[in-house]
Amino acid sequence: MAFAAVKILAAISGALAVSLAAATAQGVIGQTPSDEPVAQSEIDSAVTAGATDDVADPWEGFNRKMFSTHLFLDRNLLVPAAKGYRAVTPKKGRRGIRRFLANLRAPGVFVNDILQGEFGRAGETLGRFVVNTTIGAGGFADPAAQIGIEAHSEDFGQTLAVWGVDSGPFLFLPLVGPTSTRDGFGAIVQLGMDPHFYVRTPPADIARYTRAGVGGVSAREQFLEPLAEIESKSLDYYASLRSFYLQSRKREIANGVVDYSDLPDIGEFEEFDELE
Amino acid sequence: MQLSIVPAARSAFAAVLILAVAATPARADEAAETFVAQILTEANVVFKSNDDETRNAGIETLVDKYVDMDRVARFALGQYARIATEEQMAAYQPLFRKYATSVYQATLDPYSGEALEVTGSVDRSARDIIVNSKVVGAKPGSEYADLVVHWRVYRAADGAQSIVDAGASGVWLAIEQQSTFKSVIANNGGGAAGIDALIADLKAKVGE
Repeated sequence: MAFAAVKILAAISGALAVSLAAATAQGVIGQTPSDEPVAQSEIDSAVTAGATDDVADPWEGFNRKMFSTHLFLDRNLLVPAAKGYRAVTPKKGRRGIRRFLANLRAPGVFVNDILQGEFGRAGETLGRFVVNTTIGAGGFADPAAQIGIEAHSEDFGQTLAVWGVDSGPFLFLPLVGPTSTRDGFGAIVQLGMDPHFYVRTPPADIARYTRAGVGGVSAREQFLEPLAEIESKSLDYYASLRSFYLQSRKREIANGVVDYSDLPDIGEFEEFDELE
Repeated sequence: MQLSIVPAARSAFAAVLILAVAATPARADEAAETFVAQILTEANVVFKSNDDETRNAGIETLVDKYVDMDRVARFALGQYARIATEEQMAAYQPLFRKYATSVYQATLDPYSGEALEVTGSVDRSARDIIVNSKVVGAKPGSEYADLVVHWRVYRAADGAQSIVDAGASGVWLAIEQQSTFKSVIANNGGGAAGIDALIADLKAKVGE
């Protein structure tokens, strides 16, 4: 469950953030069904409650409200759509669509590689884009991986992190999923890094909506089982997703390098250290 | 005279020790790697089974044999481990064992039919070692391609080794459990009442 899910949890939230923000930019969101607006006092009380002292979640009260809105939309909209999508498409077709969508994100990844000074990785992104767009039939296949150029993701939130911007409070947004103040802002800026964003013709608009919709459903389809598994095992689904997100995001920003030094100690070493 | 020398000598010794530790780059730990490799040899046999029940029973046996559940259970409580009463711990420990075992079963489920092999290790200290593994023969571009499965090995003062956490690509189970448990305790009034609420939730989760 968790292992499969976490790997792409950050990616899914990134992808969904982009699709949601795309819709927002078009001005179609605003009637998002949600609970009544959360009063500032509630946010403040959540801040002072300090439910989880070592997790950066001062907005927990607000986030949990957003989380319940998200669950409502997820159960009634995204999950049925994802199940329907799975029912009518073959497995290989879905993988092709995921690759196609990922290939469309390549220009944005490339810009962020450059902004982070990762020129080697920028070259990989460019190489992948060229190979997969041509030999890979517009991105539906991934011949680049076959010749050893593995995919990686970058977004503007990660670039901000590399530039030293602190993640800011943890944020949970309906349909976007777990994110942070920095990454949420990054997702909006990220929109402008997509060439598609600047094509404003009616066919391009239709393509944009389709891409956002398919992107969200395609991402959700991949996580039907892992997320159901996490939910069924968790004592607190919100806290579990928060922990998985915060843990996996750290590694993603470090470009896959796992930092073991900041793990908490497990076990009491001091009782033995007295003797040594 | 002697009395004043001892603390000075001790802090000098400590300083040397810190320098030595800082100067030593994280290195591989052969004994821990061997320990995990041996577990994976047994686990790979279990992963081969097509039958869910057989596989889950096999994973439970391995977890009982190699995971130091009491240590993980205490860790999962975070700072609340210090204030939990003996009665609470007595109720909590067996429930945690059941719960954590079911998490291992669910987490390792996607590896059925696959095999894991040790790729290396990093020592956080002489008694706290991370051993990494990967899926054997993962195809490039597949979901297993760049997946690293971590095992956290704890070495007791007498040299006995046990597993205290498992993770994948930088995400750890016990850390998630601690985060969730602390959240449950804190959101139920913290302290003794919160711990009781956690115990009740665990009981419901493992079906007792």
